Amino acid sequence: MMSEKIAVAVDDLTVAYNYKPVLWDIDLSIPEGVLMAIVGPNGAGKSTLIKSILGIIDPIAGSVKIYGKPYSKQRDQVAYVPQKGSVDWDFPTTALDVVMMGTYGALGWIKRPGSKQKKQSLEALEKVGMLAFKNRQISQLSGGQQQRIFLARALVQNAAIYFMDEPFQGVDATTEIAIINILKELRKAGKTVIVVHHDLQTVPEYFDWVTFLNVKHIATGPVKDIFNDDNLTKTYGINYKVAVQQ
Amino acid sequence: MNPMLEIQLIAAVTAAACAVPGVFLVLRKMALISDAISHSILPGIVIGFFITHDLASPWLIILAAFSGIITVVLVEMIQKTGLVKEDTAIGLVFPALFSIGVILIAQNANDVHLDVDAVLLGDLAFAPFDRWMVDGSDWGPKGLWIISIILLISLALLVAFYKELKLSTFDLGLSSALGFSPVLIHYGLMSVASVTTVAAFDAVGAILVVALMIAPAATAYLLTVDLKRMLLLSVLFGIASAIGGYWMARLLDASISGSITTVLGLLFLTVYLLAPNKGLIAVLFRQSRQRIEVSLLTFLLHLNNHDSLEERRVAHLQEHINWHRVRANSVLDLAVKNNMIIIEDEVVSLTDKGLEFTERALDYIMTNKDEKIEDMKDDFFLFRG
Repeated sequence: MMSEKIAVAVDDLTVAYNYKPVLWDIDLSIPEGVLMAIVGPNGAGKSTLIKSILGIIDPIAGSVKIYGKPYSKQRDQVAYVPQKGSVDWDFPTTALDVVMMGTYGALGWIKRPGSKQKKQSLEALEKVGMLAFKNRQISQLSGGQQQRIFLARALVQNAAIYFMDEPFQGVDATTEIAIINILKELRKAGKTVIVVHHDLQTVPEYFDWVTFLNVKHIATGPVKDIFNDDNLTKTYGINYKVAVQQ
Repeated sequence: MNPMLEIQLIAAVTAAACAVPGVFLVLRKMALISDAISHSILPGIVIGFFITHDLASPWLIILAAFSGIITVVLVEMIQKTGLVKEDTAIGLVFPALFSIGVILIAQNANDVHLDVDAVLLGDLAFAPFDRWMVDGSDWGPKGLWIISIILLISLALLVAFYKELKLSTFDLGLSSALGFSPVLIHYGLMSVASVTTVAAFDAVGAILVVALMIAPAATAYLLTVDLKRMLLLSVLFGIASAIGGYWMARLLDASISGSITTVLGLLFLTVYLLAPNKGLIAVLFRQSRQRIEVSLLTFLLHLNNHDSLEERRVAHLQEHINWHRVRANSVLDLAVKNNMIIIEDEVVSLTDKGLEFTERALDYIMTNKDEKIEDMKDDFFLFRG
């Protein structure tokens, strides 16, 4: 079963854009080995939470620890899948090349990826069922295929903790199932997977842990214990009973 | 070396040096920033000239490049307030800095060997006169040395940081998460762009340096889907336009920098029209083919759905599917040519091939699975994504 080790610890985290708080005094502990959804309405700060854990956004207060150390010392433990819409898919590059970017972190500055990195990337492409598309220009891929490429890029990082920002957005049903199966495999291998998620209906089926977030932290825990009307109402401000029991 | 050759060499090296940072500016959607830098380095050049009295002094280049960086910082500061958008911020910053430079020149017009015309358009024709003399021997034009050194430095940086530049241009978030500071890379790129602009400025002037940065990259972007090839093509386009522009200027007895820019523009226009995939003509052709093919498929599906003779008469089809005669005829022609239908006594029926095609197309539409149509892709544009 799950160990008691804390993979990610967030302490008193506050983030603001132009003095308007987006995240307010967040305390959060994520144990190792969970497959966790972060849910909350639009503008709840879900992406911002991930970005500030990964040092992409500077918080105005608070701290983040990955296995007890600051993120900047633990980069090799963490893989990140940004929102698909955050990059320009017309960029002149191929699917394989994008996956190779996952190896850059381990390489460090200046060093170029070689045949070892290429082999790892091809394996990751195969795992997400995209090997046949390795030389395809990325704008020629469908939304689901692009998302798989992003997932392959995270797999190549071979990390202990995976952060994913809406990996199911704009993908077809087949891809969604393929992605969730890979995430479940990661958890089985002892990895911690944290996913910003929109679809409340699938939370109990896909995830074993959940965090409710709406600018403030509302609750974190096992889905079977805390995924209930009370927390949904606190998070979304309206009664979600009907929607979830369907 | 004769001056003719020297001018062409300076122009070609300048174009190559501009093309390298230009590719990343275009991919980062920052083309306008190069316009801003090229104008706002003027006060840096003027002040640098007051101090050094030498247009080719490295201090002047560093000072001017520094005012380029200040431009970028100011633009970002104004933009961060959230009160105005980036394009507005750019539009506010560079005219302010440029006008300071213009006033400084006008105030000191008597003792400064700089005039506004030269600043705007450059004076490539005079570049060979300013020579680098070492112990009485002539090492060639100073301008050529400066821009060549800058080109070499920028190529060395490109080779060293290619992976970092690519990553941070494509995916800012991952670049930051992996520890490749996008801010550092951004300012590194801006420094290279500024230094290159200053050196190119002397040869081609403030307005045209923008064209040398942006046009080759924009042209190459239309022709390739590979970043390395895009860099290579940009450099080649830059060099070709520089030399072509020089000869055009001689032929027309016109400004060299103006001619170079004209050639750049013509090159872009040609590629924009004729590029194999992204070119305007290719796109229009593809769209018209797709329109006909969608019609063909609609027509085949109609035949597949309706067995009765009445529904399959040629005349009836025209009014039934509500197509004009021309369109109906071109669709019928296409279908016959591909052996998908036969017409007997004005009645249309599907052939075996047509039937199979229709069913596979239906399959594809229902499942949206790419492998269903892999072998149909060669025949039909419609299925090429």
